[in-house]
This record gives sequence, C-alpha cells and structure tokens, in this order.
Amino acid sequence: MSDWEPKIVSFLCNWCSYGAADLAGVSRMQYPSNIRVIRIPCTGRMSPKFALSALREGADGVWVSG
Amino acid sequence: MLTLSEVKQVTGDAGNFEVNLIQHPRYIDESKCIACGMCAEKCPKKVVDVYNTGLVNRKAVYVEYAQAVPLKYCIDAENCLYLTKGKCGNCENICPAGAIDYTQKEKSLTLNVGSIVLAPGFKSFDPSKLDFYNYASHKNVVTAAEFERILSASGPTMGHLARISDKKEPKKIAWFQCVGSRDVNKCDNAYCSSVCCMYAIKEAAIAKEHAGDDLDCAIFYMDIRTHGKDFERYYNDAKDKTGVRFINSRVHSVLPIHGSDDLEVRYVDESGKLISEIFDMIVLSTGFETPPEVVELLNDLDVDLTEGNFAKTSAFNPVATSRDGIYICGAIAGPRDIPQSVVDSSAAASDAGEILSSARNSLTTVKEAIPETQVVGDPPKIGVFVCKCGINIAGVVDVEAVRDYAATLPYVEYVCDNLYTCSQDTQDIMADVIKSKNLNRVVVAACTPKTHEPLFQETLLCSGLNKYLFEMANIRNQDSWVHKNNPELATKKAMDLVRMAVSKVALMEPLEEAELEINQEALVIGGGISGLTSSISLAGQGYNVNLVEKSDVLGGQALNIYKTASGEYVQENLSALIKKVESNEKIKVYLKTEIVSTEGFVGNFKSVLSTGGEEKSIEYGVSIVATGASALEPDEYNYKTDERVLTSLELDRKFIDKDPELSKINSAAFIQCVGSREPGRPYCSRVCCTHSIENALELKKLNPEMNIYILYRDIRTFGEREYLYKEARNKGIIFIKYKLDNKPEVVNKDGRLIINIVDHVLRQPVEIEVDLITLATAILPPDNQQLASFYKVSVNDDGFFVEKHAKLGPSEFATDGVFLCGLAHYPKPIEEAIAQGKAAASRAVTLLAKKKINTIGTIAKINPMNCSSCGVCISICPYSAPSYIEEGPFTGKVKINPVLCKGCGLCVASCRSGAINLKGFDNDQIFAQIYALKEAV
Amino acid sequence: MSKDVIGSVMVIGGGIAGMRSAIDLADAGYYVYLVEKKPSIGGVMSQLDKTFPTNDCAM
Repeated sequence: MSDWEPKIVSFLCNWCSYGAADLAGVSRMQYPSNIRVIRIPCTGRMSPKFALSALREGADGVWVSG
Repeated sequence: MLTLSEVKQVTGDAGNFEVNLIQHPRYIDESKCIACGMCAEKCPKKVVDVYNTGLVNRKAVYVEYAQAVPLKYCIDAENCLYLTKGKCGNCENICPAGAIDYTQKEKSLTLNVGSIVLAPGFKSFDPSKLDFYNYASHKNVVTAAEFERILSASGPTMGHLARISDKKEPKKIAWFQCVGSRDVNKCDNAYCSSVCCMYAIKEAAIAKEHAGDDLDCAIFYMDIRTHGKDFERYYNDAKDKTGVRFINSRVHSVLPIHGSDDLEVRYVDESGKLISEIFDMIVLSTGFETPPEVVELLNDLDVDLTEGNFAKTSAFNPVATSRDGIYICGAIAGPRDIPQSVVDSSAAASDAGEILSSARNSLTTVKEAIPETQVVGDPPKIGVFVCKCGINIAGVVDVEAVRDYAATLPYVEYVCDNLYTCSQDTQDIMADVIKSKNLNRVVVAACTPKTHEPLFQETLLCSGLNKYLFEMANIRNQDSWVHKNNPELATKKAMDLVRMAVSKVALMEPLEEAELEINQEALVIGGGISGLTSSISLAGQGYNVNLVEKSDVLGGQALNIYKTASGEYVQENLSALIKKVESNEKIKVYLKTEIVSTEGFVGNFKSVLSTGGEEKSIEYGVSIVATGASALEPDEYNYKTDERVLTSLELDRKFIDKDPELSKINSAAFIQCVGSREPGRPYCSRVCCTHSIENALELKKLNPEMNIYILYRDIRTFGEREYLYKEARNKGIIFIKYKLDNKPEVVNKDGRLIINIVDHVLRQPVEIEVDLITLATAILPPDNQQLASFYKVSVNDDGFFVEKHAKLGPSEFATDGVFLCGLAHYPKPIEEAIAQGKAAASRAVTLLAKKKINTIGTIAKINPMNCSSCGVCISICPYSAPSYIEEGPFTGKVKINPVLCKGCGLCVASCRSGAINLKGFDNDQIFAQIYALKEAV
Repeated sequence: MSKDVIGSVMVIGGGIAGMRSAIDLADAGYYVYLVEKKPSIGGVMSQLDKTFPTNDCAM
C-alpha cells in the first residue's frame, strides 16, 4: 500500500473553492500533484452522474467543494 | 485608479474643481509587473508589516496582501537598500519582467472634476500613551486590530490562536472596551466609537470557535452597544450559547506577573467586591480617530469639523460637507460600521452625481463592437497558447513539452508558447493568429481564469470570436506554484489540464448575451422621510418617479418627531422636503394608495395600484421599498390607564405643540427598552436612548430645576451622540440601570405616580415619585409579507426586510431591481434614513443609467419537449428565474428567464427529466473533461 | 455653482466606502478618479478576519 497514490478528481465552485485553490498557489502552499480540478459554476451544478463517471474513468476519490 | 497618491490642493467650486495631486513612485512598472513575487523573495531588507499590524515583517519590496488590487508590487523607498544607500539591486536583477525602475520620480498631477467624495477612513487609537494598560511594554497586551490578524488565516500565525510572547495557546483572554473612546481623562475622545462592542464580541466568539470551549473569554465593558441589525441576537448568543463572560466594570489596574508572561487584572465587580484575575492575553478594544493628516486635509479643503474631528454634516443632508460639491462617506462622517459606511458611500455617490447630472456620460466612452464570425457548424479549429509566466510556470513545468503535447490533441490547429501571454503585445499576436489561422476555439494554459479570463475573452472579441469559445487551463496557481518540487509530475498535470480544456472547448458553442431594455421609470413605496428622499434623488438624476403612500399625507413617522439628535427641528425640514416632492414635476404622488399586485422582473415591473378602490396599472424598471415602521403601543407601566404615562412620540407631540404643561412638571422619568431587547422582540430599536436623553435635556431647558430619571439597561448613545449622554449627566439627570429580570414597576398610590426600582449603585430598592413617565417604545415593522411575496424577497424573524448582504448590500435586495431604505430595513434615526434613501436611489440609478442590461451567456435553458412540469426547478432556484409557460404550445412547461438566471446550475442538477442545459458548463462539456481524465487516472 | 459642469468625480480613499462610492458613480455614467495613498485599495476591511453579525469572511 505504501507506494499507492490515490487519484482524486475535484469539482470546485468557481466562487469559493476554486478561488481558494488559486490562493493556495499565491501562498505557494505545496500539496501532492495527484489531483485534477474541474471548475463548475456552483456546487449546485454538481450531479451524482459526474461523480460516478469520474469514478468509472478510474478516479479513486471525488472531492466536491463549494 | 491612482494609488500611492495624495491630494495637495483643491481650488474651484462645485461642478468644476481643480485638484492637485502628488503621486509617489512605486519604482515598479505596473504594466510590466506580473506579481510573481520573486523580487520580494530576493529582497534582503526586512521591514515591519503594517498590514499585519506590525506583528510580523515583510520585505522592502512588497504587495500589501495576497488579494491586493492592483496586484502589483511596490518598493518601499524609505527602506529599500538601493534607494537609500545605492547598493543591492537584487530585485532588478531577478525580475523576469524587467518591471523594476529605480528612476521613477514623484509626479504632480492636476485633474479637473465636478465633485469630490472624501472617504479617507480612520486610524485606530494608539494605546501606547496609556501606560496603565502596559500595551507598549507587554507583548501579550494587543489591540483588537492585532488580534484580528492573529485570528486571520492570512495573518502571522496562519489563523492559529497563539499569544505573541511565547506562541502558547491562551486559556484566558480579556477584552477591555472603550480604550480611546468615551474618555476625556486619559485621551480627548469623548465620543463612542460605535463598533468596538460588536467586534470584541465577534473576536471572543471566533476565538472560542478556534480554541474550543475551555478558552475563557471575558469582556469588560461600560455599556454593551449592540444597536445594529441582528447585533443584539449576536450578543445574546455570545452570552448564552458561546459562553463569553460579560463583566460590567472598568478595570482598575493591570499588573504584569513577574516570571511569567501572564497579566493580573484587578477590578470591582457589580456587587462592589474587588476581584483579581489572571489572564494570558489582553485585547484592547481601541476606538476610531481621524488621522492628523486627514484633519489637515479637511482644514485645507475648508471643510468644517465636529469637536471629535469628524466632518460636520446636517441630519437632513448627512453626506454633504460644509463646502458645496464635497461629500463624505465612511468613518470620516463619524465612527460607524461597514453597512453604515456602505449606505453613506452610495448616498455620497448619489449627491455627487446629482449636481453633475447634466454632464452625465460626457467623459465616459463606449467601446465599439466588432462583428462576430459565424462558427456554428464548422469543425473545431483550436489554438492552444501555453504561458511561461516568466519562470513562474516555466521554472517548474516543461512548457515546450506541454506545447508539443497540445499539438497532438484532436482538433488542435495551432500551438505556441509565450513568455507572458497576458502582455499587450502577445494579445495583439494572439488576435492576429486567430484571424490568420481561422481559429474558432482558444485555450490558454496559464495562471487562472479568476483573474485573466476576461482579458483573454476581450482578445477573442477583438478578433471577431464569441467570447465563450474559450477555456483556460490553470497551470500556474493550481500547478507550477503548488508542485514546485516535482517538475515531472507538474508537467504531467499541466498536460492533463490542457487535454481537459481542449476536449471541453471543442464542445463550446457561441453564446448569446441577451439584451433587455430597462424601463426608465421608478416606483417608490412609502412616503416617509426615506421614500421622499429617494424620490427627490431619482428625480434629480432625471428619472420619473411614482411615489405611493398608504396614508393620506406624506411624511411618515417624521411627522411625530420634534428634533434630531443634532438638535435640528424636524417639522420645518420635513415640510420643505414634502414641498420639494410635491412641486417636482418628475414625481407623481399617489396618496391613500396600496399595491394590489406586482409582476415582472428587473427593468420590466408592472404593478396594479389601488386608490380608494380605483385601480391603475403602472410600469417601471426599478422599485424602492420604503415602507417604514411604527411605534409599539405598550401594555405595561400603566400606559393607557394613567394619562401621565406617555410614549416617546407622544412627548414629542407635546414639544411640537409647545404644550405649556411641560414646563410645570417637577419630576419626570424615562423608561428605556419598552418592548425592545426582550425575548419576543430581541432587537435594539437603536434610536431610543439618544432620543430620551435629548428629550430629557429639552425638559431641563424648560425647567432647570426638574428632577429627571432615566431608567435604562445599557445606554446606547453611539458615535458623537455620546456628548448628549455626558451633557445629561453634567446637568444632573439621574441614570438608573435595571436588568431584564428586575424591571421597574409603575404604581398609582392614591393618585401619586410612583416607580419602584432597585438602584444599581445603592443596591437598594428605591421609590421615585414623578409627574410624567415617558416610555421609550420599540419600533415595529408593519406586516411586510405581501409586499415581500410580490418582489420575491424575504423578511427576517423580527419582520424587517432582509437585504442583499448584511455588510455590502444594505440598501438593495437579492432580487435584482428592488432596493430598500429607511425603517423597513431596521430602526434608525432620521439622518441614517435619509442617507439610506439616497443610497437606494444611487443603487437604482446605476441600473437605470445602463438603459439596457446584458445577461450573462452561461445560463440555463430548458428544452420544453423534455420538461415534465414537476416544478422542482421553480422551487429550488434562488433567483426565481424559472416559471411556468402560460400560453402557446408549451403551456404548463417551464421556461427560464435569461435575465434572472445567474447560471449556478442548481436547476440543471435537480431536473429529473434532464430537460435543462447549462450553457458553458453543459453535461457533455463536463463529461468531456471527465473523460479526458482517463489517461490521468 | 459654475456653469461648465464637469462629468467626473474624484473619490479620495480606497477603503470600503470609497470603493462603493466609486463603483456607484462609474455605473451611473461619471468618470471617476479613485485616489488612494497606499499601494493598493481595500482599506481596513481587508485586514479583518471575519465580519459581524454573520461571521462572513471579510475578504
């Protein structure tokens, strides 16, 4: 298990979490690179289908934040 | 925008001022700086960080904070080694954009303007001159502003609550109120700073949130002043739920404990006992002061000041200074909180604009539109521009590899990399490439769409492409900057992000931004002082106004009021205002009129008015709600059974009528908080403390020998109203404090009017015989439910309307095109009601002035063929955009009003029939991104 | 008041009050000069952590 790296897909709200992810960059915080962000206009846009489809494509985790 | 600038001189008059400014050099070329921060990294000189209230250091080249606007670095000339000693030059050597320019000189500018708005703000009182608090000598005595930074995630401790001296987590924190306020002995600030009670409660509550329940927070106060909207609830919650201790005592000494970093606090508690407690930290709730340089500026501008060094205004003209054409807003108008500042600033904008309305749009320019190229039906031809951002991206990510990779992706016709994609010359090249290569989709892999999407979209527009045929891949903020130590993985991630963006953009369609005419008329509901003011401001800016009043007279509650807190007669000023409204041909007044129904939306409202049963339909673009409030009719303290017991407004009526009986009274009492701050009505009515004290002083004027008692819970004479409280005590008016569980009792003893109360100083029951009792009754909102449903807005638990944003949108509703002012928002004195009347008008004008509104392109659209008419979208939409179609082939199905839709996608996700698409974030587009992940995961 | 009215306004101070005023004026069709002493706008509110009574983030 030790060298296993989960692949995370995240759906971030454009107005808060996506901005926060940008700020993390401005502050040069370092975090693992195995995360791919999809920007959505609001977490209200989030559909279970997106999460399921991301998992089906091979993601190990889905993170929705907003 | 002119930063680093100071006003030196103003000449001329209202309508035509000449202003001389000095602009200090930034030593950095703003057009070149890309805010990468490399200069600050290399700068060897550390300087105290003023933004973080001196708790940490920053460099001599700096940006104030991460979200600063403009996000451009600046060299602090006083501390820069190169500028002071001629050596170093590190930043010039490292800057990848060549933005450093040590040769910049101070510039002098002369500008001509029609009016001036002053918003110079305040500074916090400096407690170091009061050695009693040990602020200067002890690290764990901090100001509230410093504590604010300690709590902040962007502050010196990254939001971890720790004291300064030893980084220990504090277990006991004390707040001292009124440091530098309400004090003429130790400093000269007799006024109350208005906001400190609330911020201290907030800091205590947040500190407990950070540190958990075992943190003890104690607030030492004189009076708790939580007189704003929802403030009293916040106070009650802090006291009863969060467990913040409130101690009504002025601390008598603070002693550092030797051998530890703690402090001993000695005070006398309410029962008169001397108590000693040890705290880990002390926070001083420091007050507002007008900075000396601002006082100097105002003096130079010939603007009159009050004794507290705030700009002098009149209650009926609350944002105008003594000099025509110069207006004020924010803390220079007196200590105030953010919503009040925001109200004032819109009011100042309204006043400043009104005198210039003849020159409106004379200096602003409108851009020419470039015809759009038709792309629908063409196969995608995508251009990918990969940015190096100097070395910000290229230092980590292999940009050339990403560029070459992009070229292999489907539909990609053109790729290139740029040193700075955002620079003007690259934008010009980009526009040329789009045209010459016939590109119809564009991807920029660079910083973040949050800051740069509009810029690139502008370039698309300039080259004739619809701006929605664009996507950004965030390979800086969310890649190169956060994966510095892993270039290989960062490059791989960049490629993934580019692939996802390419697959999404291929599916993007040109989107239309619908245009909608705005009806240029306004409706104002309520003919009280704020509605009258709004009407005059709107008419003054050239708009027709329909003013609707339920009763048969204009004037509202102000008709019952004798004087303002600043001593101005209300009736004379009110009649002048009413006359102005009645004689204004742009204002149509409807008396004895109510609104029967309302339909439509921003720009296109339609209401049916009923005047004595006669109905009339009007159309308008904006609506201002100024429905006011009224005084509570009390059912306690022998009101109604004894004619010697009056309400505040009834006493005002006697003053207005110059009732000769008043001067014959030997003793009078005022009972505060009648119906306010009680469980059923847990809000403070804001105006009553000041008003009772003012009336008590009026009685003293009639008969200086009169004995006057004011029975109160906390005296809330905020701002410079505090002077009245001081004057009242000086004139011998007696203040007796009572608690909610020990209210005074009024009895009729053989015809004598007696009050029984426990005196808070003597701690003994006392009996007071008076000739007159005035009850400071609560302010009650009318039943606003129906109006609220007309405009799809809400009312709070207390019955007042809920504004768009408690801080930043106090004079408008979440529903576009509907605005709010006066008592309908919250109890407030005349000057604030007038300011908000102007503010609501100002906000309405910003909409009317556009004449047309452009909707955004990324909105939801329903395919009526698939709609099952379930109505979930209608109930779930926060903006009331979906509604049932009422006629035509799709009757009963739902349509979405493109003007109201904000594109959040809530309806799309909730639609069980899959009938709704969200343009720009459609299912197929998001799925394309997800599918493009395949190789990544 | 002078006859030639100029359609521009100067707002002095780039804190929350100055910014709000400037935006309102610009939207109403006046050219605005926003003058700030410091290198960036935002004022005191940008230094606050949270705001009462909603505990919203001040940023």
